[in-house]
Amino acid sequence: MVEDALAKGLIAVGAGLAVGLAGIGAGVGESGIGAAAVGATAEDRGFFGLGILFTVIPETIVIFGLVIAFILMFAF
Amino acid sequence: MIYRGNRAAWAYIVARTKVMKSRLMKAEDFRKLLNMEFDEIVRYIGETEYKKEIDELGYKFTGPRLLDHALYANLARTYRKLIEVSFGASKFLITRYLEKWDVWNIINIIRGKMANVQPEVIEDVLVPAGERDLEFWKSLIVRDIEEIVKSFEGTPYYEPLSKVGSEDISKIEDELYKVYYRELLKLNPTDFAMKLFLDFIKMEIDIRNVKTLLRLKAEDATLDEIINCTIPGGYELTEEEIRKLAAMPLDEMIKSLEGYWFWDDVQIEGKSVATAEIEFDKIWIKTISKRASNYPLSILPVLQYVVLKKVEVDNLRILGWGKYYGLPNEEIERQMVIL
Repeated sequence: MVEDALAKGLIAVGAGLAVGLAGIGAGVGESGIGAAAVGATAEDRGFFGLGILFTVIPETIVIFGLVIAFILMFAF
Repeated sequence: MIYRGNRAAWAYIVARTKVMKSRLMKAEDFRKLLNMEFDEIVRYIGETEYKKEIDELGYKFTGPRLLDHALYANLARTYRKLIEVSFGASKFLITRYLEKWDVWNIINIIRGKMANVQPEVIEDVLVPAGERDLEFWKSLIVRDIEEIVKSFEGTPYYEPLSKVGSEDISKIEDELYKVYYRELLKLNPTDFAMKLFLDFIKMEIDIRNVKTLLRLKAEDATLDEIINCTIPGGYELTEEEIRKLAAMPLDEMIKSLEGYWFWDDVQIEGKSVATAEIEFDKIWIKTISKRASNYPLSILPVLQYVVLKKVEVDNLRILGWGKYYGLPNEEIERQMVIL
């Protein structure tokens, strides 16, 4: 019973880490891209759409983290 | 700590200058302008980045003087904008580099005062691109030369300026540029961004020195004169190297230049000194572009834009004056730096 609870707890921690660390990684990646996008858009509004698109590309990493979290939570 | 710019800070200013760079005139624009008449050129330029300045100064000036003033006013506005939009390490380095224009302004004010030129005329040639703004320079114009010199007391420029009146103004100008470069080279290469900046400055000194060497050698200047006119602290052209090269006859000196970074297969034999200088300018621009691509998140792409903007302004001035005086297209093109 205790072992079962411990395993569930560790799975939840793992799921949290998967999403959290992926989020931090994406944030680090986005900081440079976001700054460049703001710089380019400040000079030329035409870069706004492209800037947003490039900025959100690292977000895909968070989706991978989320998938891992779901697998952890529901497949075990 | 001030030099330790992070990645995002560099990305911002580099992206901004890259967009500004994309608006610079291309080689084909210059070729198109070459086939136009003077008035058409002014009209064409008035529809580009220079619109604001051409419109503002159009009521005050006409002809090539309008072009000159509008181009310099735009240059100053662009450089000041770079200082305003940058922050941290990039702001510090851009401001220090643009101090070069402070030297330009000091010299022009003193020259103007010595020749009793009207204050408005002196004001028109000023490029307030550095840290000191137009109001500061305007306040200097109304003072007499001694007071102008005194206002620089406590700055590194005071020592050469104190010789105004007792020494030739062109020598003082050389001294001021030496002080400018000496002060820049005093910065400590505490991190990689700083090292890249210092290498850029040293390479710029090399280009200036090689041009001075060629010009003075062609004029049969003495060894001492050459040493006095060159700037110490180059990348490969150190003081001993310059001394060695200056002692050689011109032909031998040109052959000895072949091993240096700035040679890159230059064909200067049979060309005038002015044309040879343009060849070195082209190599300089190519080198900066290569280095700026190798180190995209650094000060180099910003400095590349600063240099290219000045080249554009110089090209347009040559084009304007050449067309105004009816020079043939080939001759004008030879004087321009087009890549």
